[in-house]
Amino acid sequence: MLLGIDVGGTFTDAVIIKDAKILALGKCTTTHGAVLHGILAALDKVLTGYDPAQIKRVVISSTIVTNALTENKIDPVYLAVMPGPGMNVEKSFPIPPQILKGYVDHRGKVVAVPDVEHLQKRPGVAAAAISGKFAVRNRQNEQLGAQVLRELGYQYVFQGSGLSGELNFVRRTNSAYFAAAVARIFQEFCSQVRISLAQRQITAPVQILKADGGTLPLEEVALMPEESIFTGPAASVLGIMALTPPVQDSISLDVGGTTTDIAFWENGKPLLARHGARIGKYNTAVRAFHMRSVGIGGDSVICRVGAEFTVGPERSGPSMAVGGTAPALADALVVLGQVNYGDRQLAAKAMQSFAREGETITWVAEQIVKAALEVIERAIQDMLYQWSIQPVYTVNDVLKGTAFKPRALIGVGGGAPGLINLLGERLHLPVQVPSGAMVANAVGAALARPTLRASLRADTTEGYYLIPESGQRQKLPQNFDKQQAHELLEQWLNTECDRLGLTHQHCEVVAEESFHTLHASRETGEIIYVEMQLQPGIFYRVQGEEAAL
Amino acid sequence: MTKQLGLVFFPAFDWMIRPGHPERQERLLYTRDQLQEEGIFDLPSIREYRPRLATIRDLQRVHVGVPSIRKLITPAHLASAGGCLTAADAVMHGEVERAFALVRPPGHHAMRVVHGIRGFCTINIEAIMVEYLRSVYNIKKMAVVDTDVHHGDGSADIFYHDPDTLYISFHQDGRTLYPGSGFPEEAGSPGAWGTNINLPLLPTTGDAGLHRLYDNLITRILEEFQPELILNSAGQDNHFSDPLASMMVTAKGYARLADKLKADLAVLEGGYSVEAALPYVNTGIILAMAGLDYSKVVEPDQSALRPQDPRCEKRIDQLIEQVGELWDHRLEKGAELRHRCGGTWNRNKSIYYDEEGILERQLETEHYCTRCHGYLTISSEAENTRFGNQNAFIVTLYRDMCPSCRAKARDEALRAKKSKQWQYVLVQDIATGEVERL
Repeated sequence: MLLGIDVGGTFTDAVIIKDAKILALGKCTTTHGAVLHGILAALDKVLTGYDPAQIKRVVISSTIVTNALTENKIDPVYLAVMPGPGMNVEKSFPIPPQILKGYVDHRGKVVAVPDVEHLQKRPGVAAAAISGKFAVRNRQNEQLGAQVLRELGYQYVFQGSGLSGELNFVRRTNSAYFAAAVARIFQEFCSQVRISLAQRQITAPVQILKADGGTLPLEEVALMPEESIFTGPAASVLGIMALTPPVQDSISLDVGGTTTDIAFWENGKPLLARHGARIGKYNTAVRAFHMRSVGIGGDSVICRVGAEFTVGPERSGPSMAVGGTAPALADALVVLGQVNYGDRQLAAKAMQSFAREGETITWVAEQIVKAALEVIERAIQDMLYQWSIQPVYTVNDVLKGTAFKPRALIGVGGGAPGLINLLGERLHLPVQVPSGAMVANAVGAALARPTLRASLRADTTEGYYLIPESGQRQKLPQNFDKQQAHELLEQWLNTECDRLGLTHQHCEVVAEESFHTLHASRETGEIIYVEMQLQPGIFYRVQGEEAAL
Repeated sequence: MTKQLGLVFFPAFDWMIRPGHPERQERLLYTRDQLQEEGIFDLPSIREYRPRLATIRDLQRVHVGVPSIRKLITPAHLASAGGCLTAADAVMHGEVERAFALVRPPGHHAMRVVHGIRGFCTINIEAIMVEYLRSVYNIKKMAVVDTDVHHGDGSADIFYHDPDTLYISFHQDGRTLYPGSGFPEEAGSPGAWGTNINLPLLPTTGDAGLHRLYDNLITRILEEFQPELILNSAGQDNHFSDPLASMMVTAKGYARLADKLKADLAVLEGGYSVEAALPYVNTGIILAMAGLDYSKVVEPDQSALRPQDPRCEKRIDQLIEQVGELWDHRLEKGAELRHRCGGTWNRNKSIYYDEEGILERQLETEHYCTRCHGYLTISSEAENTRFGNQNAFIVTLYRDMCPSCRAKARDEALRAKKSKQWQYVLVQDIATGEVERL
């Protein structure tokens, strides 16, 4: 039995899945002050009648970190950076950084050692982050700084290169900052979860869902807590995968009460974003799906200024049709006959409140829905644009093109049924609505596979290879080639799986580059880069009808 | 919302001239790594574009290939030229304030008539952008400032008779560097006298010299010409670490120049210090064009940086005076030259294609008309091309030709055909981008 828990903005859902069937489902209100209470309540509901010892794995998709960030309940952080020459980064991070002198160049050579004597202990600050430009090519300077920070008495110390192996100093630094800022909160959450599960005799390994749709053990995520942001949308994508994976290239829309999460699908798989997620104004290295969340949902507030209608992004509470006090988007859908629930009279009253002389409530409802659809369509257009400007590094890329051409829309979530049908008409795309979509997120969490991703970069002129995710910098074996690069990296990923207690899975190559190089010194060599991952996804699909609880 | 800078980054990692050649696959690899690591592509003031493919028609507004341009290029050339057109569209549509096409292969040694590769170039991507801007956006007056260390003899050739394109090139003195041309007296044909500005600099000229020249001469010429757009052929081989040249400009020196020039469009040209210079020079230029602080862009290794020879400044002051005077009297001098040469103006050229060992001889004849821009004829004979020895007679029809010139030009082409002296008789129509083989 697999147990999945999804803490959403409104509900906390728990499901138990066995042999591709949803056995039980528990739904509770999310307790915003203390998320754990909601989790336990849902857990107790779902566990009734089942033996906790049968549970093989627990996966939690939690808003704990997201909430801490949005409510600004994060810890103060001491941030030290080693930018070297280049862009002025004084204002690139959420807090002003302490700038150290160390520098590593693009080939991983330490040009200057950091002046670590300038690192300070700030009173009352327990978390610190350190990050250096090109630290992913050589961690030496960062490690030196981290060591000193620990000696200074910082309890939580994060290194940019420890969180992402990818090039982008600003993003890695922001990741390290956010990791430090939520480290204590996440750790407290972990120990509470551990205690609570132990009390319920659940001894199965506990994993946390990450923004990229993969899971990792609780302890491991505590070393990179920023990875557990925005897991709701990731869980929803996995849920769609489990319930009805799109067979053609599609756009999925998860319409909730407050927001609509939009994702793209190609060859039956959700597309991963080219860049990391954004937290507030700041770009991070947190890998996530190519998704967008817009403030349109069934409970979205409606405004009218002159002839102009706007919908969202705030939530006005439940629609009047179901007993709410203020008009919401769902009321317009009820009036248009797109939805068959609630009180039509009350919905009509809601529309009437916006109507001026000579205007029918149908016309008003149409304007409102049109305004909502425009917001969603703009987001889709922007996502299409962002996807279309993927970098092209080769002539082959230019000739081939990377355009994403959706053939269908997939609607899940119970927030605003009918809205997707109207969007489909607008975009001239067919619409599919899978059954069982109400608990898609918890199902997605329960079935999510673990993921690991790592890269290897070898420079034969320098005579070493580096796996930035491990900090390993090793001498190159004789006659090193691409094949060996693949083997070494796969070997490392498998060792990681063993260490984390994960089953070995197929490693797929995500990116690959190789160059014969000629240097100013006339030396020739080869640069080989390989990136591999355990593919994110689900263990197996669940049947539609069983899922339709 | 208008962003400060549009960036087309196309490093063509699968294109090279041949292994070991400076124009090889990894030329922009270290630059890509630096830009990614700096987080340049995330900056809110920068919008990224992917290059489109230029069409043969786009190329033929500028070039006449022998036997045809299609047979001389690779898809990489269409992508690099297309990258420039993408940049132009972004600026002209008002999506961005200015744009930088950081693309390869480069182009400023490619002349109007093409028999092969010269100076690493087959097609002239800036010139293609200029003619595209004219055709699609009706831009008339443009200035091209070439900051590559080599004289852009291809651009000079293409713009030589065009009074509406001001071409300014500063470069290492041709007596000490490829291609050997680019002296002040090569100021344009009589109808365009003074719009081809050459500023040959002595080896070791550095930031100080370069900015002295810019502040005291180039900026004045640009102001007085009043171009609708300024384009920058942003070669980066004036850098002190460049293996093919001997200048002493730094990344910050280049960035400050980009900041002063405020080009609407920039296009990468040469620059072969791929590890020690390009990552930093490009970071500097991008930051400057995006209106951001570039003061912290410093090469980590400055061991090759030497002070400027005292003779450099003397040369610069000479140029400021001599070329300044040439510029001030360009109209009188042009009128005088026009008067002296009558209805046509000829020049003989001997063109060497270093890459393929082709030797081409040209006789170029500019035909003047009192009602229109007239037309151009070129007889070209080339030895040792990949198609063997070949010759061609070319007639170029300028934009807005009067009917009588059009008829005359056509007659000349037909006469050439009849003479059976030419393997190829080609008529280039700049306005339509068509090249017709008679």
